[in-house]
Amino acid sequence: MSELTAPVPTTERQASLWSDAFRTMRRRPDVIIASLVLLLVFTMAAFPGLFTDKSPTACAGRDARLRPDTWFTGEHPLGTDAFGCDFAATLVHGTRPTIVLALTVIVASVAVGLVLGIYAGYYGGWLDTLISRSLDVFIVIPMLMGAILILSLFRGRVSADNLFDTIAAPALALALFGWMEFCRYTRAATLETKNLDYVVAAKCLGASDRRIMFKHILPNAIVPVTAVVPTTIGGIIVTEAALAVLGIGVQPPATSWGVLLSDGTEWAGGGYVYLFAWPLGLLILTVFAFATFGDALRDALDPKLR
Amino acid sequence: MGRYVIRRLLQALLTLGIVLFLLHYLMALSVQVRGNPALLFFGGDRTPDPAMLAQVERLYGLDNPCYERTGDPCLAPFVDRLQNFVRGDLGTTLNGNRDVAELLSIYIPNTLRLFAFSVITLVAVSMVLGTWAARHRGRFIDHTVRGTTILADSIPVFLILLTYVYIVAVPLTRWARDIWGTESFMGQVFRPSYNPDYPWTTIIVPGIIVGTVGLATMTRLIRAAQLENLGSDFVRTAKAKGLKPLRITVVHVIRNSMIPIITGIGFLFAFMLSGAVLTEGVMGIPGMGRMIFQAVQRQEGNLVIVGLTVSAFVVVVVSLVVDLLYAALDPRIRYE
Amino acid sequence: MAETMRVIGDTLPGVDRNAPLLEVDSLRVEFQVRGERIPAVRGASFTLEQGRTLAIVGESGSGKSVTSQAIMGILDTPPGHITGGRVLLHGVDILEQDEETRRTVRGNHIAIVFQDALSALNPLWSVGFQIGELFRVHRGASRREAKRRAIELLDLVGIPDAKNRIGHYPHQFSGGMRQRVMIAMALALEPEVLIADEPTTALDVTVQAQIMRLLKRIQAERHMGLILITHDLGVVADVADDVAVMYAGEVVERADIYDTFKRPAHPYTKALLRAIPRVDAVGGELEVIRGLPPNPAALPSGCPFHPRCFAAEDVCADEVPPWIEPAEGHGSRCHFAEEVYTDER
Repeated sequence: MSELTAPVPTTERQASLWSDAFRTMRRRPDVIIASLVLLLVFTMAAFPGLFTDKSPTACAGRDARLRPDTWFTGEHPLGTDAFGCDFAATLVHGTRPTIVLALTVIVASVAVGLVLGIYAGYYGGWLDTLISRSLDVFIVIPMLMGAILILSLFRGRVSADNLFDTIAAPALALALFGWMEFCRYTRAATLETKNLDYVVAAKCLGASDRRIMFKHILPNAIVPVTAVVPTTIGGIIVTEAALAVLGIGVQPPATSWGVLLSDGTEWAGGGYVYLFAWPLGLLILTVFAFATFGDALRDALDPKLR
Repeated sequence: MGRYVIRRLLQALLTLGIVLFLLHYLMALSVQVRGNPALLFFGGDRTPDPAMLAQVERLYGLDNPCYERTGDPCLAPFVDRLQNFVRGDLGTTLNGNRDVAELLSIYIPNTLRLFAFSVITLVAVSMVLGTWAARHRGRFIDHTVRGTTILADSIPVFLILLTYVYIVAVPLTRWARDIWGTESFMGQVFRPSYNPDYPWTTIIVPGIIVGTVGLATMTRLIRAAQLENLGSDFVRTAKAKGLKPLRITVVHVIRNSMIPIITGIGFLFAFMLSGAVLTEGVMGIPGMGRMIFQAVQRQEGNLVIVGLTVSAFVVVVVSLVVDLLYAALDPRIRYE
Repeated sequence: MAETMRVIGDTLPGVDRNAPLLEVDSLRVEFQVRGERIPAVRGASFTLEQGRTLAIVGESGSGKSVTSQAIMGILDTPPGHITGGRVLLHGVDILEQDEETRRTVRGNHIAIVFQDALSALNPLWSVGFQIGELFRVHRGASRREAKRRAIELLDLVGIPDAKNRIGHYPHQFSGGMRQRVMIAMALALEPEVLIADEPTTALDVTVQAQIMRLLKRIQAERHMGLILITHDLGVVADVADDVAVMYAGEVVERADIYDTFKRPAHPYTKALLRAIPRVDAVGGELEVIRGLPPNPAALPSGCPFHPRCFAAEDVCADEVPPWIEPAEGHGSRCHFAEEVYTDER
């Protein structure tokens, strides 16, 4: 009798829910394809060297705007951009800021949403009122609008020396207006779970509040949250691109898909469609993969809706 | 019910008040951190005569010393701003010195017209697709509808717009004009930009494009609602009562499916507002979205705040209306 | 009575007054699940006479609810399909009628009360609307007329203050009252056959008795045929005249109530009866039927009950038992029906 534990249901039930979900997902061809796409993109972000041996910053003015006439071969497989930089290298190296930005925002949003949601749902009272009110306030400003507001009010010249400086401002702005959905789901799940028999039992056995919240309630609350995570990551990537087109996202000379798109629009009309089409295709493919994956995940975790 | 409405109204007012204060505080912080936007009045870099600068600062309410102290919430100017808002004075633009309230009276109706087409598109398309998918659950059509709507949702609105404006619109317009003539409805409807001479015709296409925001979410909601209702016990009861399929659909399924549809619209409205910012900006529709778009590009803090206040106001009102509609549609919801 | 017969003649041509009220003859229902055909009802036969109560007894999954839905014509198709058999109402096979006629039969001649009234009633319409809807649709009644009839019906099923309750919504009623609303709705068009599909399972014990008394009273008043679907043998003993026991989609024993309880002719029935707790049997251990109900997709060979049967022999696993009648009007689908009947097994 080292420690008081609640009756079994939580862990076991959760485990079967997740493994069931995993088994359902594994059998769907669309999920497999989406996973492969995501794997490719993540690899590109983590090890750009595997895909290109050029540096995106080694540019030669005389090589500017070389069309990729010889597909996937030659000196510049995807041609060069307006400054004579190798476009394949630019594209591959632009993946990392995009992905890191999206992941940073989602991790921050989920963490904030989970903690606030659990505390609001579990303790109720003034804490719940305070958190629910701020939820109301933040939710009336959609993510893109909020990010526009923050970034346009505090726009400054950011040196793009390292990854952190490149993405810090947009990541902060997006996370600030991204946590509400997760908080709402968590709060609802907490309210639902906290009166379940096994949670009450754990309480009677003298488990601490913190233990109940993170051992017994969190595993339940995390289900609806996880179900919307992939779709939201897709949304963040899109929003980042929109911010870049507005000129307030990641600031050039740093690159991200959004920056490349926004540059690409200027050249697309002049016959350099590839400068627009490649980042566009990559972005849509990735977001589509995230959305498909998220859709399947939601189905697998919520059998009611199938 | 009456008490509930009043409570919700007060809550909405409180929310709006906090939103306003936060917006104000953010702007004050921005002035404190980044320096005086009144300098813009003089074209940016030049150092203006201090006396003239002071005059302009006074004009835009930036003369309070709190703007020099970083972190000061600037309560006095906030109260001034609220008083001005109540009086209907929303300030003037830094560029061109125009009355913001007057601009709003032109911009808001345009955005509303845009939204009318968007909501119609969203509801109509997702109703058809959702019902269709529900009828063929688990089969090819179901998967196709799901895949297509997710794809449509994955393509950012502004990309659809850019593609439309730069690639599709011009040849389509030329083709339509060859057949129906320049002045006809068809000759105008595909124009790549808004034309105030044809205020209704040229807003249809951007409206439809904004309406694709959230298509997947909405289709999914409707599909789920239909499946739930079609397989429900009360529909079985209705069949056992010997009712015709049409009556079952109209009386017992549609009304029950309305609730998720309303939730969906309430939820997606905020996203459509974001969609409108880019759409109006790209298509040149003089609406709220373009105002915010331009305010961001010209760094007009006041205009951004006014735009976001209006947008926040709309979102609050929409969520209030959604809650009241729930009560009207579902007798189980009783507000105390 | 004469009046109801006339209505039947109008809507169902070929009615034979001398034929039994409802006769179900080797009804078969299959479910199509992922390309597989799974039998849910495998040749159910029974007869219901006017003014009598037939109890269909069985475990969950034995096909009793599917049978009732097939009779009503409200099977979810797909996946459910009626693949054979006849359902005769006064000698007319209603399975052969066109959809229009079948709709008239529903509600007018056969009505059903479901188990869970909360989900069986549409939550968004008042009970008055949902009851009145029958008069509006089937009888072309005016709004006011429909409302008047609905109030009468609520009175009939014993809902106090019917005039005011008529505008209330299902969630505003208690469980028992909600089931009364459900019954009122089923009775609205004065059907000849009322199917009650586990009408009291979701209710408190005291309320159960009230609902059963109500059903019995109205059945007697109207001389209706009542099919009571249940797994509760206590209720059966109280109200039924005849009993049909279902197992694995078929009727395994059919007899009147006294014979069923006194001298069951099928081991399954016998085991069911032994599993009822008795006040007079103090101290003894309650018997249970070993094993689980069979999976309809993979039924045991021969007699589907043989793996769980206390009287099983080798023949039971090999041959499908014939229908044996050890006494007049008492049949059983068991190789050893005679021995079980005479209590030799």
